[in-house]
Amino acid sequence: MTASATAVAPNPLREGLRLARAPRPTTLVLFGGSGDLARRKLLPALYNLALQRLLPAAFAVVSAARRPMSDEEFRDEVHDAVAQHSRTRPINEDVWSTFAQHLRFVATPDDAGYDRLAGELQRVDAEVGADGNRLFYLATPPAAYAPIIRAIGAHGLRGPGSSRVVVEKPFGHDLRSATELSRIVHEVFREDEVFRIDHYLGKETVQNVLVLRFANGIFEPIWNRQYVDHVQITVAETLGIEERAEYYDAAGAMRDIVQNHLLQLLALVAMEPPAAFDDRAVRDEKVKVLRALRPIGPEEAPAHTARGQYGPGYIEGRAVAGYRSEAGIAPASGTETFVALKCFVDNWRWEGIPFYLRTGKRLPKRSTEIAVRFRVAPHRIFTREAEGVEANELVLRIQPDEGISLTFGAKVPVQGFRIRSVNMDFVYGASFMVDAPDAYETLIVDAMRGDATLFTRRDEVEQQWAFVDPILAAWARGEPPLGTYPAGSWGPDEADALVRRDGRVWRKA
Amino acid sequence: MTAVDEAVWGTAAPSVGALERELARLRHAAGAHAREQGHTVARAAVLNVVVYAERGVHAERAARGIVRLAQRHPSRAIVVWRDRDPGGPPADLDLRCRIPRVDDRAGVCRCEQILVRVRDDDDARLRSVVIPLLVPDLPVFLWWTDSPPPRARRFDDLVALADRLVVDSADFARPAETLAHLARLVGRGDGGRIAITDLNWTRLTPWRELVAQFFDVEAWRPFLDATIGVGVGFGVDMDGRDIHPSQALLLVGWLTSRLGWRPAESLAPAEAGGLLFRMTRADGTPLAVRVRPRFERGVAPGDTTGFRLRCRRRGEVAEFVLKRAPDERHVTATVLLDGRVRSLRVVPLPAPAVEDLMAEELTIAGFDHVYEAALHALLALA
Repeated sequence: MTASATAVAPNPLREGLRLARAPRPTTLVLFGGSGDLARRKLLPALYNLALQRLLPAAFAVVSAARRPMSDEEFRDEVHDAVAQHSRTRPINEDVWSTFAQHLRFVATPDDAGYDRLAGELQRVDAEVGADGNRLFYLATPPAAYAPIIRAIGAHGLRGPGSSRVVVEKPFGHDLRSATELSRIVHEVFREDEVFRIDHYLGKETVQNVLVLRFANGIFEPIWNRQYVDHVQITVAETLGIEERAEYYDAAGAMRDIVQNHLLQLLALVAMEPPAAFDDRAVRDEKVKVLRALRPIGPEEAPAHTARGQYGPGYIEGRAVAGYRSEAGIAPASGTETFVALKCFVDNWRWEGIPFYLRTGKRLPKRSTEIAVRFRVAPHRIFTREAEGVEANELVLRIQPDEGISLTFGAKVPVQGFRIRSVNMDFVYGASFMVDAPDAYETLIVDAMRGDATLFTRRDEVEQQWAFVDPILAAWARGEPPLGTYPAGSWGPDEADALVRRDGRVWRKA
Repeated sequence: MTAVDEAVWGTAAPSVGALERELARLRHAAGAHAREQGHTVARAAVLNVVVYAERGVHAERAARGIVRLAQRHPSRAIVVWRDRDPGGPPADLDLRCRIPRVDDRAGVCRCEQILVRVRDDDDARLRSVVIPLLVPDLPVFLWWTDSPPPRARRFDDLVALADRLVVDSADFARPAETLAHLARLVGRGDGGRIAITDLNWTRLTPWRELVAQFFDVEAWRPFLDATIGVGVGFGVDMDGRDIHPSQALLLVGWLTSRLGWRPAESLAPAEAGGLLFRMTRADGTPLAVRVRPRFERGVAPGDTTGFRLRCRRRGEVAEFVLKRAPDERHVTATVLLDGRVRSLRVVPLPAPAVEDLMAEELTIAGFDHVYEAALHALLALA
């Protein structure tokens, strides 16, 4: 937590309100305001926060970009973005009009531009009353991160209040570049001022993994190698690469999904109970899991990894092109669009228990879930009657239809004995009939409050890359070879072989 | 005896035991339909809601509300209707039950609705009917749709069963007295005190949030300790007859308790229905608090129409103003320093139905100390 010293007494009216710790007055300094991310996610999230009265009374957005435009043009652009992408529509023009007054634009093509930005920030502080608190938001392509960070330092853009920086993924493309990026960021910001966004962590159901595990007494005692047979984590997408050909072809599924989202989910499932729900304790425990991941080097890669690329096929009855025929992709591209891994967490709790991870594009169904498969009952007294009954499985569905389900065997109500697997299903949306807050809204409020619990710390990122890099190196030498799968299937045969070797199968997610 | 609407209340049962059997039959019937579609059937209930009503319209409104509420909070609902109509219920009591359809999810029974209609002649009877009907181990919410009466057995008996009392001070016939009664109830301090939810307090939440937000700004925070005047407006109907200042009073009580103001005297202002309090700040400086009725089209009587906090610090005058916009769905939040507008924003103001307020409150389990402190502050003002 940032201890930006202040002599001002706490606000006595805050107590008992929805946000016990409200976001402090802030100027959000946005880089990349015309980009896809800002238009689709960030700006609509800010507007929706205004709608819910969750923005501080003193709040402004100053957008900085190379291409010049007027405040008015910027406001029109934001209005378009919000109108198109907001989760609440139509736009509430009454709220919009006062929100828009606090949107500014400064062109920063050169050093003089950054000096103008510094001047504008001071003016906004004085006008709006943002107390010199600044949240720098890097929504640009990663190549621009370093020059922007250095310009923030060189032109004295840090305010007299708190200064924080939000960095979007990717955080580097390997361990070396990630370390280098952190080094540059640290020239200007302390680590506790850096907020690396992995928007998966802002999702309600991802946070619910922590609640399920640590607010309930009944799961933790069986959450270990004594009772768990294995764990499967799936991030399946039906989408192809859409407009992101250039980025995706350089990154691949490993850097796009595994390094961040999948390893985060793994860490949340496998971590030890933190001593407190705060940024330090939670992230300490996650890092310990990542450190305990058994490395997959060139020797292990053929048996512990599978990769694939989609060919032409069908998604929901519609014919779709193969990866190499997508616009902007080289016809001989060797980029993987599917990854399956078999990982082990080498610690007391998980020794010998495999964690199977998989992700892919153009899979038959959009689904993100964590499935914990328990061991079968040690002594089976219902051998004949229980044929076809599967072991207990606890499934945490992240999207869509967020919820939790548990399968167990039950007696079919007839004379004599027949046992069938039934499903006890908790559907998040049905129990709490409210719209869950959008992940970006949650994360922006947290960043303004200075709560980094749901953000990725430097050592987490570095551990993630340290795990992923050797696998990528093995792949670069062709081990194992790149498989192919038709769009609309559950991935290449190699992925099935990976679990079949252990006598297991992938879930039909 | 007068009949009740069977479509709302279901069929009559001669005894509590018979009523439970009828509910089991209804659940099974609902289950048969679900089983055809391959679903298993579950009864979902996370709480008991006991509704107390003295008028048929209140009872029916609450019953409808609970069905809507069941989407978010599945429950067993026991509606106790103390029918004052002399030709009303039979000599002992009228018991009915029904399983209303809550949504289209087959296989989940989310609400069991029970009617307990009694004459108003024998309060001692109530407890003995309600206790066996409660689902064990689930919290009991008592929703009292009337003004909570002081020293009445029916109230004390049901409160003793409940974990939480839900009232709506907007409907109190004599707000000042009843709020004081509530304040004494939460302050009993005999270990048997009860958590109270006031739906009118929930309506104030967005207003409290907006007031608090002004003073999250460091530059404005010091003005809060330099308040010299407060104005609160509340809605009245056109002829100004229905005066329901509870919500406005709670807002005053909240500020008074949070900021440590001490009441000095209560004056009758020139305006009919208005209130004027003289207080002193923690540092001894006097300040005036004015509560005024306002006729504004579309504002429900009793709802807050506006708020103004005037502060003077080192010769500078600051005003923090919230004003309901003419469209009723927005509030303008303005900060003026020496008469000049420093900040102006428009934010939406939700107008939730009573069920939505209930749904919100049912997510909170513990005591609301801030509300209790506000009530106590009002006790000192009265």
